[in-house]
Amino acid sequence: MIKALLSIFRDSPNSFEGQKENEKVLLLLRPHFFTIAIRVGFLGLMCLVPVIVGLIFLQYFTAASWLNVFFFLSSVWYLGLWLAIFYALTIYTLNTVIITDSRIIDSDQYGLFDRKISELHSHRIQDVSIHTNGLIETFLQFGDVTVQTAASEKQFVFHQVPRPDIVKDVIMQVTAAKHTGIKATTPAGSTVNNPGI
Amino acid sequence: MDVDLASMFTLVTIFNTLVVGIFLVYWGMVFVILYHLTRFGIGVQPKRFAALFLFGSLALSGVVVISSMNVDINALLPS
Repeated sequence: MIKALLSIFRDSPNSFEGQKENEKVLLLLRPHFFTIAIRVGFLGLMCLVPVIVGLIFLQYFTAASWLNVFFFLSSVWYLGLWLAIFYALTIYTLNTVIITDSRIIDSDQYGLFDRKISELHSHRIQDVSIHTNGLIETFLQFGDVTVQTAASEKQFVFHQVPRPDIVKDVIMQVTAAKHTGIKATTPAGSTVNNPGI
Repeated sequence: MDVDLASMFTLVTIFNTLVVGIFLVYWGMVFVILYHLTRFGIGVQPKRFAALFLFGSLALSGVVVISSMNVDINALLPS
């Protein structure tokens, strides 16, 4: 029972709302972890503020009997930081691109109540290009993937996704599969959550 | 009926109301974030984040409650 309950933290079918019957998820993409690591790292540094304040003013707090007030304010500070860190992680984790064997669903989360979902059918894909810019993106292997479409929304840009070369290959496979009938597959050795990593 | 406003709005009452207010806002936000992670999250990662966030929030809330109970707000007033 407990094992079954805990399994949701290990395995997931990557199903999503609106998934069609027999529709197979090939890739589930999120922005590269580096993009969120900067923000979380900055918030992590903010954890040091009460420590620094405590070290500087410890004698004053003790003499004025303000030590308990300082501990209370510090705990509220950490509570706020915890919320800020997970707010950032929530926005990060809800920014997804789902590539299935028949379509691409791009979900952009700008805030908790600000969300944009775009859908692109594979037969409308005309061209796919990737853009890796700078030292960090080159070494950590992430970049932008631009999908040119024949639809009214001319371009789909997936920002800072890991291994854009693999993503491009999978999208091209999906597009080719529409014409040739050969089914597209996830690249060997890659996981659905993080292609090739 | 005589209402003693001074005894109603003591410093302790104001402090306790402030702490309760902080908790209401915090747990309201926690609910919204957990709802988003569990309702819209796809895959394993959002579920892990949700579990970690919930346990961390409970632990930190406990710390805030204990530290607020230790505060003697009346002692802060200049005698």
